[in-house]
Amino acid sequence: MIERTFLLRHPSVMVFIALLALFTIGATVLSEGFGIGLISTSFVKTLGKTLCLCLIAIAMDLVWGYCGILSLGHFAFFGLGGYMIGMWLMYERTKSIVVEQLDAAALPPTPDEVREAIGSQIFGVVGGSDIPVIWMFADSLIIQLALVVLVPGLLALVFGWLAFRSRVTGVYLSILTQAMTLALSLYLFQNDSGLRGNNGLSGLQNIPGAETISQDVVSIWFLWASAFALGAGYLFAAWMVSGKFGNVVRGIRDDEARVRFLGYNVEAYKLVVFTVTAVIAGIAGALYYPQAGIINPAEIAPIASIYLAVWVAIGGRGRLYGAVIGAALVSLVSTWFTSGQAPDIPLGFYTIEWVDWWLVLLGFGFVLVTLFAPQGLGGLVDALVRNRQAVAAPPTAPVKPAEKASEAT
Amino acid sequence: MSSLLEVAGVSVTFDGFKAINDLSFEIGAAELRAIIGPNGAGKTTFMDIVTGKTRPDQGRVDYGEPPRSLLKMSESAIARAGIGRKFQRPTVFEQQSVRDNLMMALKNDRRPFGVMAWRAGKDDVDRVRELAEEIGLEEHLDRSAGELAHGQKQWLEIGMLLAQDPKLLLVDEPAAGMTLGEREHTTDLLKRAAETRAVVVVEHDMEFVRRLECKVTVLHEGSVLAEGSLDHVTANQDVIDVYLGR
Repeated sequence: MIERTFLLRHPSVMVFIALLALFTIGATVLSEGFGIGLISTSFVKTLGKTLCLCLIAIAMDLVWGYCGILSLGHFAFFGLGGYMIGMWLMYERTKSIVVEQLDAAALPPTPDEVREAIGSQIFGVVGGSDIPVIWMFADSLIIQLALVVLVPGLLALVFGWLAFRSRVTGVYLSILTQAMTLALSLYLFQNDSGLRGNNGLSGLQNIPGAETISQDVVSIWFLWASAFALGAGYLFAAWMVSGKFGNVVRGIRDDEARVRFLGYNVEAYKLVVFTVTAVIAGIAGALYYPQAGIINPAEIAPIASIYLAVWVAIGGRGRLYGAVIGAALVSLVSTWFTSGQAPDIPLGFYTIEWVDWWLVLLGFGFVLVTLFAPQGLGGLVDALVRNRQAVAAPPTAPVKPAEKASEAT
Repeated sequence: MSSLLEVAGVSVTFDGFKAINDLSFEIGAAELRAIIGPNGAGKTTFMDIVTGKTRPDQGRVDYGEPPRSLLKMSESAIARAGIGRKFQRPTVFEQQSVRDNLMMALKNDRRPFGVMAWRAGKDDVDRVRELAEEIGLEEHLDRSAGELAHGQKQWLEIGMLLAQDPKLLLVDEPAAGMTLGEREHTTDLLKRAAETRAVVVVEHDMEFVRRLECKVTVLHEGSVLAEGSLDHVTANQDVIDVYLGR
């Protein structure tokens, strides 16, 4: 019942969930796997990945737009989530291939032989055949799924505890998160990191146990899962910021000292927000990379987290749908420009190739939004809704205090 | 009367400058007190020490019954123990409504997960309405705090302090920038608050202090110069020399 009254009080959440459901059904009907085949499987994957990016954008909006922590590390949590699920996907997939090959031999393979064959299959590329310790649970889907949540969550908890306890704020905190991201990325680039160095994990689109099922179908499964995660994440985020917790967190953004003197432990609040959003980012990453098929340390590079901040800034900080709009729009347009689908513009003396020039366009768009819509695209939506409400209900009818008061109960 | 707050022999130095020098101060459980003194006398630093923002180099700060030291407690723990502070510049959450500002200050569970699940009950709504009436903002509950006039923001902040239900209220220059009528209202608010709790008012304005009709402590160069009624301290030759004479 709590959830129902919550939804009734926040119609924008219902609108969002309805639009998301509509979008998912539409994509399914148009897909090759379940529908009339109007949109290609690779585009379904792009849409599914976009939903995951929207989810991490919500996490970024919570931590930056609401709590005022400009984290440049949330893509690291995203990547870690991807690595955790990628380990299971790659291990189990390799195992089934290896077992199949060894079955052809005269003698049935011993478990050790299977293990060694898996090791050299996965780690041959970095010159090893031993399975590193961190892969000890790679054959268990349950444990790896738990790690999707636990690894980013624990890293954020420890990092956040150290940073917030020392009262590191503002640009220094951003630099610190960026350093963490860079360090993690550089570590993963090493061949002996146990995660295949710069090769990363690949073949993640193949789901163990579902090898015979076409990617046309699998892509739709992941689209559904991503849509569900985005819907649940949106609902959770909206619930979290709708009550006093949201007010305290916004208060921390606007005047940290004042919140402290009201008796709130600011550091604990920041730690909760930082850790919860890291977990959301990890889940988003775990859904993203099976659709991308490959994850490597370059994905975790600091620039990815900076793009994330740009999406949220363009979409509008401090409003959840703004983050979604920003992430969806910018990442889809970016895909269009950088995948060679945008026609190059020959000027005779010079040809504008969008793969190179897209970033200039993005930067220009960022400047335009900053200058003319400082509240982001989400702010434009707000203004539009306000105008329509003003037309529908003339200002002569003020809101009755009693109505508003009942809202708070 | 046993004292609610006892500050004894406190000193603090900033880069060689002695902001507070062997300061001792006491206030009872239901008392109104004004602290006056020239600029740099250490009035704000004194509040910083009591609220945990600044740690003194030496001395003792005991609070409550039975007395316990505030020196090891964090700012938020001190606030939860019942010490509320109003800043010189009105600091309210401008982007949030007057109601949300008051709700946030209401004495309730302050822990993150408790707050996350918390939703206002009827008692809370009533209490907020009561407070709003007391500070004269009952018409403005749904306005965002940023739209309020300067004086109204000051009252809202006092209301937020009262919502915390503190035992000790530290108020830094509440009358700054207020009109005459607003000042009278503020004086009433503070006097009424001091009936049930200790209130310390730091103020520059002598007229305002006179209206409070309370004991006055004069600070100078980080220590107490004189203490007593306003007439008593203004008759003190030291006070006239360092403060009133200027």
